[in-house]
Formats: sequence, C-alpha cells, structure tokens
Amino acid sequence: MIRSDRIFGLVVILVALGYILSAVQIQTSFLSDPVGSKTFPIMIGAVAALCGLVMVVRPDPEPDWPGLGSLLAIAVSVAVLVVYAYSLKPLGFLIPTAIAAGILAFQIDPKPVRSVFIGIGLSIGLFLLFKYALDLGLVPFPKAWMK
Amino acid sequence: MEIFSNLAVGFSVLTWFTLSLAVIGCFLGTIIGALPGLGPSNGVAILIPVTFSIGLDATSALVLMTSVYYGAMYGGRISSILLNIPGDEPALMTTLDGYPMAKQGRAGDALVISGVASFVGALLATIGLMLLAPLLARVAYLFGPAEYFALYLLAFSTLGGIASNNQAKAALASCIGLGIAMIGLDNTTGMPRLTFGNLHLMDGVDFLVAIVGLFAVAEVFFFIESHGKGSSIGVKLEKVTVPVKDIVKSGWTMLRASLVGFIAGILPGAGASLGSFLAYMSEKSIAGPKGKFGTGVPRGVAAPEAGNNAAAGGALVPMLTLGVPGSGTTAVLLALLMTLNITPGPTLFTDRPDVVWGLMASLLIANFVLLAMNVPMVKIFVRVLQVPPAVLLPGVCMISFVGIFSLSGSYFDLLLMVGFGVMGYVLRKLDVPTVPIILGILLGNHMEDALRRGMVLSDGDWTYLFSSPISVGLWIAAVAGFVAPMFLRKVLQKPQAITD
Amino acid sequence: MTKTLRALSLSAVLIGAAGAVSAAECIAPANPGGGWDFTCRQIGKILYDIGQVDEPVQVTNMAGGGGGLAFSSVVNERGDDADLIVAASQATATRLAQNAYGGATADQVRFVGAIGADPGVIVVAADSPMQSLGDMIDAIKADPGSVAFGGGSAVGGFDHLKVLQVLKAGGFDDITAVKYIGLDGGADAITQTVGGFTQAMTGDMSEIVGFLKSGEVRALAVLTEARVPGFDDIPTAQEQGIDVVAVNWRGLYVPKGISDERFEEWGAKLAAVAASDEWKAAMEANGLAPFTKVGGDFQSWVDGVIASTEELSREIGVIQ
Repeated sequence: MIRSDRIFGLVVILVALGYILSAVQIQTSFLSDPVGSKTFPIMIGAVAALCGLVMVVRPDPEPDWPGLGSLLAIAVSVAVLVVYAYSLKPLGFLIPTAIAAGILAFQIDPKPVRSVFIGIGLSIGLFLLFKYALDLGLVPFPKAWMK
Repeated sequence: MEIFSNLAVGFSVLTWFTLSLAVIGCFLGTIIGALPGLGPSNGVAILIPVTFSIGLDATSALVLMTSVYYGAMYGGRISSILLNIPGDEPALMTTLDGYPMAKQGRAGDALVISGVASFVGALLATIGLMLLAPLLARVAYLFGPAEYFALYLLAFSTLGGIASNNQAKAALASCIGLGIAMIGLDNTTGMPRLTFGNLHLMDGVDFLVAIVGLFAVAEVFFFIESHGKGSSIGVKLEKVTVPVKDIVKSGWTMLRASLVGFIAGILPGAGASLGSFLAYMSEKSIAGPKGKFGTGVPRGVAAPEAGNNAAAGGALVPMLTLGVPGSGTTAVLLALLMTLNITPGPTLFTDRPDVVWGLMASLLIANFVLLAMNVPMVKIFVRVLQVPPAVLLPGVCMISFVGIFSLSGSYFDLLLMVGFGVMGYVLRKLDVPTVPIILGILLGNHMEDALRRGMVLSDGDWTYLFSSPISVGLWIAAVAGFVAPMFLRKVLQKPQAITD
Repeated sequence: MTKTLRALSLSAVLIGAAGAVSAAECIAPANPGGGWDFTCRQIGKILYDIGQVDEPVQVTNMAGGGGGLAFSSVVNERGDDADLIVAASQATATRLAQNAYGGATADQVRFVGAIGADPGVIVVAADSPMQSLGDMIDAIKADPGSVAFGGGSAVGGFDHLKVLQVLKAGGFDDITAVKYIGLDGGADAITQTVGGFTQAMTGDMSEIVGFLKSGEVRALAVLTEARVPGFDDIPTAQEQGIDVVAVNWRGLYVPKGISDERFEEWGAKLAAVAASDEWKAAMEANGLAPFTKVGGDFQSWVDGVIASTEELSREIGVIQ
C-alpha cells in the first residue's frame, strides 16, 4: 500500500520546486546586494525538497485517517468558514456568526435545537464582548438595515 | 541606594485610582492574552485611543498600558494549557507541556505553576531593568548582522527534537515557516516577492493569522473528527490546589529560564517568542531524556512562561534606552510614549526620571496584581473545560475570526486563516510539528536580513559570519544543539534495537 | 464563561462608554512606532485636545507595501470617506515618484498639508575619525567599501537617496559601489552605527535627538538650508560646499471623493494643529523644524516634489 507520507513527500517536492521556480523569477533591482532577493528563498525550497525526499524514502507508519463521514463533516465546516469569511463585512456580525456557529456546533454534537440556541447565544454574547468590553468596531447588521 | 529613592519617586504614582486602573488593565490584558488572535500588541493598540478618550494623564496611561501588556503575557498561557491553542505567539511553547498536563486532569496545576513562573520571570526582569537598563542597552551594540544570524540559526538548529521524532519533518516545518516569511516586501530592496501580484500579500502573512489557523481552526476540525475524545475537555479535573512541591522543584528552572528569556528580550529582533523558545529548549537539554519534556511535566510549563515574561521585561530595555522596539508590543508602547511626548532614547533615564521610574513602579504593581489575580482565578479558568465542546469550539473559532478581522478588516486574512486551519489539520495528522512553522514565520525575515546585511558589509565574504567571539560562540552552540540530540538518540535507541 | 462575560461588561462600564463612535479615523500606513504612526497619533490627539473634533481620533495601523496598501485601500475602497485622514511624508512622495505603489499616482488622493519637517542628517559614532562631510567623501573616494551606511529605508528609499545625493554633489557617482544597508527604522540604524557595524547613519533629525544629547553620535551635517534651531552646532551640508537639501515633511492626505468644503475643513483643522502649543512642544521634543503648508498650494507643491524626486532617482540611477 502506498503510504500517506510518500504521497505527502511527493507533494512537498512538487510545491518546493514550484516555490524555487517562482523564487528564480523574482525581479531584482540592479542596486541589489551580494546575496540578493532570490538566494534565501531558493535555499529554503531546496531544503524543503530534500525533506520531502526523505519522507518518500523513509515513510513513517500510516496515520489514523478519519472515516468518510468525518471527512465530509470537516469539508462542510471548511465551506461554512469560507462563506462566513466573505459574509462578515457585507452582512454584519450577528447573523453570519449565529449561522456559522450553529452549523459548527451541529457538526461537533448533532443536536439540532441545541445548536440553534448555541449559534444565537454565541453570536450575541461575543458581539457584546467585542463591542463593549474590547471596543472593537464591529458592525452588528447589514449596512442597509442601519439606515 | 539611589535606586530606592528613585523607586520611591516611581511609587508616588501609586494611588487608589492608578491601582484600580492596574487591576482593570491586568484583567483586560489577561482576557486579551487568552483570546486567540488578540495578542499583547493589538491589546495595547486597541486601548490607546481609550486612554485618550477618558482623558488619562501620562502616568495613568502608562500604568494602564503596562498592566495590559503584562496581563496579556500572563493570559496567553491559559488557552495554551487548556485547549492547546496559544493565546498569542509567546505562549506557543507552553502548549508543549501545558496541554498534556491538562489532558491528565492537571490543568489547575499547570495554570498555577505557569502563573508563578510568569511572576518570577516578570519580577526578575523588572528588577534587572531597574538595576541595569542603561548598562544593558550596550548589549545591543554588540550584536551586528553576523551575531544575529548565528542567534537565529541557534533557534532553528535546536528545533529538531521538539514535538516530532522525525527530524526531516521538523526541518520541513521550519522550511514551511521560513518560506511563508519570504512572501511580501523584500526588506532590503523594498520590492515585492512571491506575492503573485496580490496586494494583500504585499505585507506578508501575519503570524497571528498562521497561529490562529494552525492551532485554533485546526483544533475545531480535530473535534469534528473525534467529537472531543482524547482531548482535555471533559477530563475529570483534580481539585485545584497550589502544587507547592512542583513549584519548589521548578525553582531553578524558573530562575535559569528567566535569565535566558531576559537576555533574549534585551536583543532587539529576538523578542518574547525567542525568549520562551530558548528557555524551553535549554531547560529541555539540561533535563535530558529523563526530564520527559513534552509529556506534560511541570518544568515544561515553568520554563517557557518564566522565559517569555522575562523577555517581555527585557524587551523594554532597548525600547526605553535606545528607542528600538524589540517586539510588536514594545513598538506599540513606544508609539504610546511618543504620543505622550516622551521620546525614548539614551537620555530618557536622565531627562524624564519620573516617567521611567513611574513605569518601573507600574510594572512591579502590575506584576503583583497579576499574581494575586491569577492564582485564585485558576478555579474559574479551568471551568472552561467543563463547557460542552459544541459551545466552546465554535466560540473559539468565532473569537479567532473577529480577532483576525480586527487586524486588517479584510476577508483575505480570514480565508488565509481557514487555509492554515486545513493545513494544520493535515500536518498534525502526518506528525509534522506546527510550532516550527510559527517560529519560521516569526524569524524568517530577520534571519534573511541579517545574512544579507552581513554580506553587504563584508562584500560577500562568508567568513564575516564567524568574525566575532559572540558569533563563534553562538555557532558552536548551534552546531552542538543540532548534533547532540542525534547522538543522544543513538545512545538511547541502542538497547531497543537489540530487543527489536 | 458567563462569569467572565459579566466581569467584562463591568470593566467596560468602568472604562467608560468609549465604544460605538464612528469618529474621524487616521490611517498610519505602517506599524506602530514609526514616523507615520507618530503623525497620526500626535495630530489625532491634538485635534481632540484643542476641540477640532468631538470624538477622539481612531488611529488604524495599516502596514503594507511601504504605504502602498493603505494608499490603494483609500483609493479603491474609501474614496469618499469624509472622516478619513491618512499620514503622509516625503517617503510617500518618494515611493509615488519611483512608482512603488503599483501604478498608483498622486492625483488619486488629495494632499491636505504638511505641518512639520524632519531635517535629514548624516551622523557617525562619537569615536569615528570622520569629522566632516569632506572627510567622509574623501574616505569613500579612497575606498568605497570602507564606509558602510545604515538607514531606516529600503535600498533606493529616501534615506539611501540622501547619501547618494551628498556623494554625487561631492563628486563621487559610482552609486553601486556605495555600501548601504536598510534596517528596521532609524533607531536600529543608529544602534548598528554606534556598535561599529556600519560607519555612518543616514536618517532624520527626530531619530537621533536622544543619541546626540547623550554624546554617542556626532552629526556630520544637517541637510537643510539653515541650521536647525536648538541644534545650532551642526553645520549644514551647504556650508560644507555640498549643495543638498533633504527634509522629510510630515502631513496628511484625504480621499479624492470628498467635497471641497470638507477638504477646506480638514485644511483648517490641520492649520489649527500647526498653530497649537501642543504641536510646537511635540516638534521641539522631536527635532522637527516648523514647516506649515496647507491647502491648495500644498497639492501643487507635492506634485513638484514628486516630479523632482523622480528626476533625481532617474539621474542617480535608482530607477530606470
């Protein structure tokens, strides 16, 4: 069986080569210093590729990967967090936070009603914490509602 | 005994009003430090406008800010120990032994020990600052590019042994961090590098984004996978007592770690993170394999906490005497001083003794307030572990989002943070340690700058890197730090090899 | 958790109702501690102290791209924000002139005014054999590698330009032979110079005041037309036959899309800050020279500065 470390090592080598390739293309001004902008990144890429190679040659025992269900749950959470990141600015803090926190709570402990309450509670609680205790400039609702 | 009369002047700042400010500052600082994504530097930065809006005078503002500063340094350990999520970057190393202790039900002990260690570190640093600051400032004059390069190398060379048994994976993790650090404006030429035309990457990747992603967000994924099995949450807690025996046993560790941290703090460009790192690594090597560092031993939480708090105090030395901020937080404190029309520099101690000694007195006050506050509050902190994961983890996640969002107000950093979360999950599954990544991001640019500056000064002559006694000493330590674990491991593994 | 929350809201009450205000905001396009940060925090504080604004000015640090991130963010996202001011200086003009903001141009914002100038200086450690600019230029002519400069800006930036200008005026124009290292700010550059790692430091007066007073460094020249009050023993470069003037002005710009009235208002507010005793004290403490230029003629002055910096950079060869 192909070990995860072997696959990962290959990915590391590819990424490291890509990194070195982009480092080679760094523009330098003619006023540059003896070492220059490229040397250090190229060195890092080379060492990383070497580490990848070691992993391919001498892989560790296989880690304990989660089942398909857990992977799916993690994928859903990643998607939720990405959408959440995009929605914070246009939609304000309260609504996206309640939804995102609710879904995450459901992923960790699948109890629908409780998750809804957790979402709403966290959203309001954290808003109060950040806005009034730490004085961060958070917008509670979509800007359109505030006018 | 000039120092006592000076200190008496300093303690004239002590009134009921400033004392209550110190209490509020310490409390807010502890909270800010404990919340992932909000570290001491944003904590102080956020509160600067507040001090003006309520019209605080210079001394009161200083008292409040130093309390927040030290408070945040104390607070960072809380989430490190309880949840394996460093509240800020200096608390990174505290996860290594603090979290295993929490998993064993000893969260209370870990918090008390680290609280006492923080106190010892901060107290010794404050005393060092009072006695020797103008003298210690000279240490910065001894460190040029070659010396700094060797110092950073020392940090990376000792990395091999932590958190992973596979040196290739630890080295890879450092490379990932260093590689990420290269993104952004090249300090030397001012030209963008590896940004792929993305303006958000022009200033590089903020280490807070990486910390919060790799630790907090990744932790959420682990919980979704395991539903909290094998974590610290819900573990039956031992009764919170003061573990006197452990504290006494860690006494020397605290003293040594404070010294290491303080020296690292004095050097601008090293800062609190390097302080706690070097303190942990040196204690680990002193203890040897019998010390069982990394499995949840009291000395493993005492060392980094004494180290980082001592470094926080030490970082005030170059800030006050040279105007060189050694860390993000001291940069913010410097900004505060300048707003108050106080320009730190070599003449500050003679020009404005009131400010300097007022500051020293505030540091001492904050330190005692924090000790008095932190040890009894441990009982409240450990309750966090009784909160159901379905509430706690989403909460931590949302706090991280707001913390990072407050940095730049851009969704880009948030996406990056989620990306780091996924990366952290995969890497930890594959037993690649994440601590070196953060260290790489923190130190990468400094290390490269030191190398390049050195090469400019020497016209590309590499022997320049070994040209001073200090740099040679650091190189020897670095090589020893890299080679020693290999030999130790060989020696230790021999009997096993036979039984295999 | 609830206990913590309750305690936190209590502390919020104690700290005062400081939240929930959308007051004026000043963007410092760099991390705390530098010149732009100083500009924002000082101007912001004085604006509030002298009653020009009702709420304390919120200072935002938006580091990135040497100010480029803040510039593009103001142009693209906050083009009509009437409550926004941004710290600017000669460094802003230099970067615009060298096209270092990714194609952004000065006419995409409006420059309100400058209210102080930080004179350029060249200093050496107290034990340096160099006593004058002439000594320095001679040393470099004899062996360009013998004098390494430290400064707070990157290669090609304002601090580097100062040295190159001086050397060029002194008859040395092989600029690639001049050793210069960019450090993390002026204080860092001084430390390296006092430590003997670099032989001279190029920077602003405000960065060296404390070190001058403590006697650890000696200023070879100040790059102004006349000697700076309070520092009368430092000769100008012109006195030494080197015709170079380089001052780092400190001021503000605002988004382009705001109304003319609002622009005038900001000009008036800035002029009020310039006239205040607080600002005069701040300038004196930091070695800034008085330099007030506000309103319409400032914009054209900045345009002139940018044009001449561009010409200079081209002439010296920093840009092509």
